[in-house]
Amino acid sequence: MNAVAPIEVRVTRYFEASPERVFDAWLVPRVLGQWMFGPRVRDENVVRLDVDPRVGGSFSLKVERKGELIDHVGQYLEIERPYRLAFTWAIKGPSNDAPSVVQLDIGASGSGCVLTLVHRMDAKWSDYADRTRDGWTTMLDALADLFD
Amino acid sequence: MLHYDTTINHMVEYESPQLDVVFQALSDGTRRRMLRSLSVQPRSVGELAAPFRISLAAASKHIKVLERAGLVQRRIQGRTHLCQLRAGALAEAERWLQYYQQFWSERLDALETVLRAGPAEPPRGKTR
Repeated sequence: MNAVAPIEVRVTRYFEASPERVFDAWLVPRVLGQWMFGPRVRDENVVRLDVDPRVGGSFSLKVERKGELIDHVGQYLEIERPYRLAFTWAIKGPSNDAPSVVQLDIGASGSGCVLTLVHRMDAKWSDYADRTRDGWTTMLDALADLFD
Repeated sequence: MLHYDTTINHMVEYESPQLDVVFQALSDGTRRRMLRSLSVQPRSVGELAAPFRISLAAASKHIKVLERAGLVQRRIQGRTHLCQLRAGALAEAERWLQYYQQFWSERLDALETVLRAGPAEPPRGKTR
């Protein structure tokens, strides 16, 4: 644990494929719909996958699961084909999932490549978290006042 | 409030306002060390402040953040405020981690399948 990344998920995987192919699988909507979302992966339908693959560009991955629309949204922070891809990740909706950051590092290895994925809640996004937290804090403050 | 399907996804999304507060509380090194110290035994505000050479008021601010996140409970015993760890709130963060650990592992499995089955390169429109 350090101050910047208190909470993170880390997954490492070897693929028998070139770094370029693995990298592109994250940015090409047609390919994303084959593994990240869709009926092949789980009980859901892809509604629309929008990807604007440039630094600062956004993505919106909309799926429908049992009648509910789920929109996974984020913004690309780093795009260095084929070695590094970083983007923010959140689920759009009234609950306003706090933004998190996903970082991929891809390195050639043998006849394939190794991908390391780190998904973390980033303190850098705390401004945004502050806003989503406001409602909750206000409510708790009001509750605390009652007992003062 | 919107809620999604019955997977853990639903739970993670539904409870995220609380998660925001928990992550926010955990994003500070002093507060994490306070929690670690509380995982050993309940402590007074003074005991929590001592290792950091910070004022009681500053310590109290940190403790308030932890309280709001539901990570710490304060009991008043006579003139002492005794702080106690509430592990339940940490379980939320734990579930977030478990959810995404599984989420990405499954997706990478699926990616592996696609890479194995698919053509070496996506078709280009320029072949003639």
